[in-house]
Amino acid sequence: MPSPKDTHTNMILRGIGVSGGVGIGQVVLIERVASDICPCYILQTDEVPAEIQRFENAVESAAQRLKTIKGHIDSDHPLGDHTYILDTHILLLHDRMLYEGTKKIIAEDRQNAEWALSEVMMKITSAFDTIEDEYLKERARDVHFVGERILRILMGLSSEKKIHQLPPNSILVAHDLSPADAAQIKREDVLGIVTDVGGRTSHTAIMARSLKIPAVTGMEKISRMVQTGDTIVVDGSTGIVILNPDPEMIFKYRQRQDIFRNYQQSLMAFGQLPAVTRDGNRSIRIMANIELVDEMDIALIHGSEGIGLFRTEYLFLGREDLPSEEEQYEAYRRVMEHNRPKPVTIRTLDVGGDKIATSLNLPPETNPAMGLRAIRLCLSYKEIFHVQLRAILRAAYHGNCRIMIPMVSCMSEILATKHLIDRAKDELAAEGLDYSKNFKLGILVEVPSAAAIADLLAREVDFFSIGTNDLIQYALAIDRVNEHVNYLYDTLHPAVLRLIRHVVNAGQARGIDVSMCGEMAGDPVNVPILVGLGINELSMNALSIPIVKKLIRSITLEECLELTNQAFQMQEASQIHTFLESWIIERFPKDYFLNNS
Amino acid sequence: MTEEFIEKTIVVGNQMGLHARVATVVVQMMRNYECQVTLVKDGMEVDARSVLGLLLLAATPGSELIIKGNGPDSRDAIQSICEIIEKDESDNF
Repeated sequence: MPSPKDTHTNMILRGIGVSGGVGIGQVVLIERVASDICPCYILQTDEVPAEIQRFENAVESAAQRLKTIKGHIDSDHPLGDHTYILDTHILLLHDRMLYEGTKKIIAEDRQNAEWALSEVMMKITSAFDTIEDEYLKERARDVHFVGERILRILMGLSSEKKIHQLPPNSILVAHDLSPADAAQIKREDVLGIVTDVGGRTSHTAIMARSLKIPAVTGMEKISRMVQTGDTIVVDGSTGIVILNPDPEMIFKYRQRQDIFRNYQQSLMAFGQLPAVTRDGNRSIRIMANIELVDEMDIALIHGSEGIGLFRTEYLFLGREDLPSEEEQYEAYRRVMEHNRPKPVTIRTLDVGGDKIATSLNLPPETNPAMGLRAIRLCLSYKEIFHVQLRAILRAAYHGNCRIMIPMVSCMSEILATKHLIDRAKDELAAEGLDYSKNFKLGILVEVPSAAAIADLLAREVDFFSIGTNDLIQYALAIDRVNEHVNYLYDTLHPAVLRLIRHVVNAGQARGIDVSMCGEMAGDPVNVPILVGLGINELSMNALSIPIVKKLIRSITLEECLELTNQAFQMQEASQIHTFLESWIIERFPKDYFLNNS
Repeated sequence: MTEEFIEKTIVVGNQMGLHARVATVVVQMMRNYECQVTLVKDGMEVDARSVLGLLLLAATPGSELIIKGNGPDSRDAIQSICEIIEKDESDNF
C-alpha cells in the first residue's frame, strides 16, 4: 500500500483524545501479525517431532523475553501494580489449552505450528465471546497478545516490537498496545501514541496519562495508513491526528504545543485556589464526581473541595449476589476518611432492577428510564436499601457525609427514606455500632415533577443537587441515545433554564444549598449563567475543575447576572448557546480554544 | 501414597469475580502441590493449573464453585485455593 505521503499532505483524522498535549514526530509503526498471513501447510509425518520442538522453543523464548521485560520494570513504574498482568501472560504461554492444544493439532492433524496456534487462539477467543461479564470478556485480548508474541517468533519476525529501542521523536502507531508493550515505553523516547482500538480505560490510555504522553485511540485503521518514518502530529486534547503535515502545519502545532504546556502548568495552579468571583461577591464550591474509590486522588490533585457525587453502583454491578453491609461500609468509609473534613455526597443505589443481582430475577422492563429504578427500586426492595443505608450511616461516622437520593418524584419517597434511615439508626444504636448523627440528607432533582414541587420538597431536605443529564432528558422528552431525536437534546433549552431557576429559588427561600452535578456543571460555557442563577456548588469530572475555577475567578457576579438576564430573554436554545459561547470566546479566547476538545 | 478425593463448594467473594489476578495467583500457588485440582461451575470443569480455564469459568462475584481434589496433598491445595477465591480484596485490579 502506498504511503499517503505520495498523495496527501495535512490529512486530518479524528479519534478519541485520551491523554492531553501535542506530539509531533516520526511514526514508528508497530505491526501486528494478522492470522490470515500465517503460513499454512501440512507436514510430513517425520517432520512432526521437529515442528513440536520448534513450537516449544518459540514459547520458551517468548517466556524468557516476558520475564526480562518484567525484570526491568521498577517498582515505581507508572503502571504500578498493573504489571501483574505480565505474570498472567507468562502463565498463559504454558497454559494447557494453548500449549498442549497447539501441540495436539501439530501431532494429530500435521498442521504447521503457526497454523495450529492460530486455530487454537481462535477457538479460545470465541469461547471468551460467550462470556457476559465485560471484564472477563476483555481477557480475550490477553490471549491475543500472548499468541501474537509466539507467532512473531515462529515466523522469524523480530521477536520484539521496536518499543525498547526507539529513535528520538517517535510517535508510536499500533493496532493496539499490549501491557508488555506499554510497560516498556519510556517517556523520553515517545512523543505520542496513536492506536486503532481502545477507549479512555484501555491499557494504552491509562499508561499514556500516567506518563503524560499525548495519545489518541479509536482511530480504527490508522495502523494501515501510515509507514514507519512518516511525519505525524498527535493532539491528545482534541483527538486530532494529522498525517504528513506541511511545514506550516507543523509550525502551527509547535506553537500549540508550547502553549499547551505552559497553559496546563498555569491552569493546575487554579485548582488549589477558591472559586470566588473577581469582585469577591460570590463563592462557589467546586466538587468532583467520582465512580470508583481510586478516583479520589485525581479529584484532590485537581482541586476538588469534596465529592459532589459518589456513585455507588459499581459495588452492585456485574455480580450475581448483593454486596454485604461490610463490603459497602469499607468502600464508603475509605472515601469518607480520605476526603475528611471535605464533604462526600453518596448517591444511594441508582440502577434499574435488571442491572443488579441476577439472583433477584427481576424481569426487564420495556421503558427502564421511566421504570422501577433508583429510589423506586430501593423502596420496593427495602432489604437492599436497608443494608446500604446502614453501611452509609456507619461510614458517615468517619467523615463529612451527605446522603443523596436519586430520582425522587414526590414527597412520600423522601418521607419513606427518612423513616428507613431512622430505623437503621435505631438498629445501629441498639447494636452498639458507631454511626453518624449529623450527616445531611438531600435529593437529586432530576425528574421534572420534583423540580416543579421543589418549594415543597425543600422543607424536608438539607440540600438539592440538580442532576442535569436526566432532568433535561425527562423535561424535553428526549432519549439521548435515540439518534432520531437527540438533536433536540439541549442543555440550554429555555425550559431547562427555567426549571433550574425555580429549583434554585425554592432552595434559597428555605435557606438550603443548591448544587449541580451532571455534564452541564463542568462545561465552562455554562458556568457564568449557573453562577448568575445562584447555584452554590458545582460538581464535575475532576479534570474540568481547574478551568472552571479559573473562569469563576476571572468574572464578576454582576457580569453573570447580566448574562443570565439576557439569556432569559431569548427564545431558542441555539440562540442562548451562541450567545454564551461568543461571550466566552471573546473574553477568554485562549482558554476556550485550548479546552474545547 | 494414599489417594484422597475431596470436594468443596465455595462462593466467589472477590468484588470482580475470579479475574486475571486471582487466576494468576491460583495457578502460581498450585506449583506447590502435586495433586489434581479442578473447579466446576454450571457443569463446566477446568484445571486449577490453567489460567485460561479459570477465566473461562466466568465466575462473577457471588457465584458458586465446586472444587475437586485428587491426590495426597489435595486437602491443603483446596484450602489455599479457597482462601484466595473467597477472600474479599478491595484492592483488586
